[in-house]
Amino acid sequence: MASVDVSGIPEAAAVTVAAEAALRDDIYWFGVRHHSPAAARFVREAMLARKPKVIFLEAPADAQAMVAHIVDAQTKPPIAIYASFRDDTNQLNGAGVDSPAADVPAKYDSWYPLLAYSPEYVTLITAQQLGIPVVFFDLPFSAQLQRRPDRAVPQPAAEEDDDAPAPEAQHHATTRWDDAAVTSRFYKMLADNGGYRSWDECWDSLFEVGLRHADAESFRRDMTYFCAALRATTAPQRLATDDTLTREAHMWQTITTTLQSKKLRATDAMVVCGGFHLFLDRTGATPVPVTPQGTHFITVAPFSYARTSSNDGYGAGNRAPRYYERLYLPNEAPAAAAITAMVDHVVAVLHKGRKSGEALSAADAISIAQHARMLASLRGRKLPALDDIRDAVITCCCKGDPRDTGRGLQLAMDEVETGTAVGRVTPALGKLPLVYDFYRLIDELDLGEVMAKDKRKKYTLDLRIAADDRRSIFFHRLGQLGVPMARRVDETTTQLMFRETWTVEWSPKTDVALIEKNLYGDTVEAAAAAVLGEEVAAATGLSAATVSEFLLRAVALDLPNLFTKLEVTAAQVIDDDTSTASLGQALTHLVVLQRQAARKHLRADVIADLIERAYGRGCFALPYVANAPAEEHAAVIAGIKAIAEVVLTQHQAADTVMRLDQELFVTNAKTAYRDSQNPYLRGALAGVLTELRAHSTDELAREVAAFAGARGEVLAGCGDFLSGLVATSKTAMLLGAEPLVHAIDQLLRAATWDDFMILLPRARGAFEGMHDRSRVALADRVAVIYGLSADEAQTITSLPTTQGGVERLVRLDAAAEAIMQQWEFA
Amino acid sequence: MAKKTTDTTERTESSTNDVILRAPAEVKYAVELEALRQNDTGEKPAAWLLTPKAVLTYIVGSKTPLKATINGKAESVTITRKFFGDDSIVERSIVTLASERALLLVGEPGTGKSWLSEHLAAAISGCSTLTIQGTAGTTEEQIKYSWNIARIIAEGPKPEAMVPSPCMIAMRTGALFRFEEITRCVGDVQDALVSICSDKTIAVPELPDSNMVFAKPGFNIIATANSRDQGVNELSAALRRRFNYIYIPVVSDQKTEVEIVRTRSAELLERYKIPARVEEPVLQLLATVFREMRDGVTAEGVNVQKPSTTLSTAEAIGVAVESAIYSRYFGNGTVTTADIARNMVGSIVKEDLADLKVLKEYISLVAKKRGASDKGWKAFHDAAAKELA
Repeated sequence: MASVDVSGIPEAAAVTVAAEAALRDDIYWFGVRHHSPAAARFVREAMLARKPKVIFLEAPADAQAMVAHIVDAQTKPPIAIYASFRDDTNQLNGAGVDSPAADVPAKYDSWYPLLAYSPEYVTLITAQQLGIPVVFFDLPFSAQLQRRPDRAVPQPAAEEDDDAPAPEAQHHATTRWDDAAVTSRFYKMLADNGGYRSWDECWDSLFEVGLRHADAESFRRDMTYFCAALRATTAPQRLATDDTLTREAHMWQTITTTLQSKKLRATDAMVVCGGFHLFLDRTGATPVPVTPQGTHFITVAPFSYARTSSNDGYGAGNRAPRYYERLYLPNEAPAAAAITAMVDHVVAVLHKGRKSGEALSAADAISIAQHARMLASLRGRKLPALDDIRDAVITCCCKGDPRDTGRGLQLAMDEVETGTAVGRVTPALGKLPLVYDFYRLIDELDLGEVMAKDKRKKYTLDLRIAADDRRSIFFHRLGQLGVPMARRVDETTTQLMFRETWTVEWSPKTDVALIEKNLYGDTVEAAAAAVLGEEVAAATGLSAATVSEFLLRAVALDLPNLFTKLEVTAAQVIDDDTSTASLGQALTHLVVLQRQAARKHLRADVIADLIERAYGRGCFALPYVANAPAEEHAAVIAGIKAIAEVVLTQHQAADTVMRLDQELFVTNAKTAYRDSQNPYLRGALAGVLTELRAHSTDELAREVAAFAGARGEVLAGCGDFLSGLVATSKTAMLLGAEPLVHAIDQLLRAATWDDFMILLPRARGAFEGMHDRSRVALADRVAVIYGLSADEAQTITSLPTTQGGVERLVRLDAAAEAIMQQWEFA
Repeated sequence: MAKKTTDTTERTESSTNDVILRAPAEVKYAVELEALRQNDTGEKPAAWLLTPKAVLTYIVGSKTPLKATINGKAESVTITRKFFGDDSIVERSIVTLASERALLLVGEPGTGKSWLSEHLAAAISGCSTLTIQGTAGTTEEQIKYSWNIARIIAEGPKPEAMVPSPCMIAMRTGALFRFEEITRCVGDVQDALVSICSDKTIAVPELPDSNMVFAKPGFNIIATANSRDQGVNELSAALRRRFNYIYIPVVSDQKTEVEIVRTRSAELLERYKIPARVEEPVLQLLATVFREMRDGVTAEGVNVQKPSTTLSTAEAIGVAVESAIYSRYFGNGTVTTADIARNMVGSIVKEDLADLKVLKEYISLVAKKRGASDKGWKAFHDAAAKELA
């Protein structure tokens, strides 16, 4: 009789019949839970005792070829089977739904993690030792996709940091029977009666630390009853809508055909699968889905505990990979293993906590251990479960609110529970094409020294040297693929066209990302081109700015075919664009392209044509922004500045083959200036026109002085006008500083106190927005205007004075401070 | 020390309750404790009246009634839930009291720290009255012992002249000692507990022949501290090490809060012999107002200002009881949402008058809008608006 009590549910009789049928079946069924140390220990014990002639293991059938690599002596868990599928002929109807566009095939992938204490891994290792063949009998990954309700919904990515995979790939966590089990009435009843706060706590109480099972057979018996009760009280529609039934149909078909083909009896077979599947349908009522045609890849890759931790959002992992590893000591009695695990765990948490500044002592460790054991006893467990240990740590060491005072402790617990283990895979496993190409390029580009773990190297590349240029292209392509390895560090700090600085560091995540991107192409170049191509396809309503940015990236990635394709599109997109902001940005990108034309063998005439188009469209668009709403001001000003800068630079450069029509810009800018009712935009346009010498500084001063006669809101606009002016004008303002200062002076004298207070914030903001050097130069001019000689203004570094003078200055300073406080600027 | 009545059938109608306003938990729940004792078969820690599991059941209640013989009669006794919230708080508290360390319950005012402390002492030691209320004026003598001066003068220092503190009594009898609001006491006085916690002794140097009082098994300390007092008289590092802190959060869901207000207000009304009952919709409204003002956001997602006072569940119970008393003596005996509104102002607006504005904002922004489609909310709004005018 099982020790799991199923008598509390109405289905008790049916549960007993189902459980006994599974237990007495000729095939030896052994139910497990993913990443369960107890299940791993007992499945090994059962295999050693029974020595079956064949083992059916719950793993995707298309990964059968991976068995030899998983059990290879040089492979060390954590590892994961990786399966991917590209639906080239759109059999799953995912194109345009699961992919960026209807002409882009949908791609799907999934990871099946295997830890040292996963029952599946232990089964494979034990089978190898005993010489028993193992058959992966779960539905192939791509066939599972047909019934997945979550197919169009990306699962949370199991990433260790921000290096998230590209959003275009659809990641799937393997379906776990636990997910259905937690919805069952039987679990709810158990939780209610046992006070379990989670499914993990319930499982650990019953199967990991309960000491309820003396041997594999008692474990199998309990597990069978437990799962029979869970399945009987799970809503049937739940199983009908996920992929459980189709997977089980395939499982049963594989068992029968394999036994037949190998001429084995049912008693020769052992099945190791999730507990739910012990009761699979054998009538053939559910058809076995056909594996769709397309591009399939299967491999095994190194994995990590961080990726396996469900705390990081990975559904198919567990809540504390490192803690459960401690719990799995195959050569130790379960009771001793649980205590050893607790002590090791507590000591590690306290050590980690102390390193982060928590005041924790050995006495605390003793108290925690005592507290955890007593809590376990109170909660009806023979040994402490992880929940008891967590509660004991908080009770004994956290002196306040756990969410506040206990944050450091919580962090220490999370880190210790997760662990840092990273697996490795035998070199005998052939690499996926993309991974192979990556390593070929690493050798070819002489980057081998960064491949050691934790080895970071900085590369400063001179793009005029061919070898450096090739490295630059490689790094850019990895970036496009989202492969975390090379990071450019000077992008925002350097203006140099031919120099790039990168930091390069390999980690296991690099290989994982490459494996995930293998579906995009066999080489780094092809995959980068495909990813960028998908990005272009996904960009709805291309603008001049985005298309020119794509052109730039295509050049950086050295993808001439894509560049040519984009060139054709670009001309039309620019012609259709009417946004000053977008066209300004496009011009900036195109000018950069123009500078790279010779080195990258681009057709200068085509780029020049694009520049002229963008410039012309940008100029003609100017009058339409005269009264743009406030939320668009920043983008509009950036666009105007970009166009003005291009025309100014082209005219200043003596060797420029192309001359843009400055008059076209000036005419349209003047029209916009004339029509604009907005002081900020008027100021910005005036600033640009002054920079181009199309507007004199005297005119500028008159414009400012004109505000002197106004009142209220109009006067407040003077601050906006100055802000706009400062935003676009660098040198012109300084050239015309004198009349401008006079105009501002006149304005301030004319303003009443109230008007001055209205004007002040924006005016102050305008001057604060100036570059430091410009502001100091302007201040010097003000000083000169107010009586300081020009030489003094240039050379003044200190202010020598008498003792009386100093006292007077201090009084003045204090008085000024008091006045400032009354103004309540804040 | 309140004497537990020997006749467990007397319950709250006992003669003791006829003359005292509030019976301690061990008296009020004597029948439940007795039923648990009769059904308790496990191993008890030294000097505990019940096993830890039975203590847990006493505090979190049981779904099925217990069969017990009470005053010679077979009865079915329901164990009511005393503490509403996360059961693991109670489990951790019980385990702490069975260990070497003392227990400090920390939390916002009105979260049930003293309530839990009292019930733990009642269930474990059968006595919840060995208590000191910490204040700024609490002295070391009050924690340890003092002397009967007249006897000292007349007879000299003798054990008979000693006046033991509740703590010393607890040590001698192996019971739980309760120290309420420990952080209200100054640090020097708190530190009197260090040797009591670590050595389980009190030294009495005035009595050379009997200069030590040793604690018997079962002795431990339950202290409470208000988290709003943190930083006022923080426990010394030596004392902190000897206490397990258990933080009691403000109740996090409406259903539980309504349940607490319903249960506790009914008990209090029974104590005051007020034949009034606060109906479910009124309770729901009361809990909603407290929750929304405490969280600063309404169910509709509207942000409202939070008052400076702690809108604890205890405050909500107070409002419910006061409203019931009001309706009993000045109304028709039925508590309405208008009664709630009238009695709520004083709970929310205390020392900071700015809270008046906060309440006004809630009344005009939230209550008024809900009043357009709900009679209860309309009555609440109208009464509150009148009160605040």
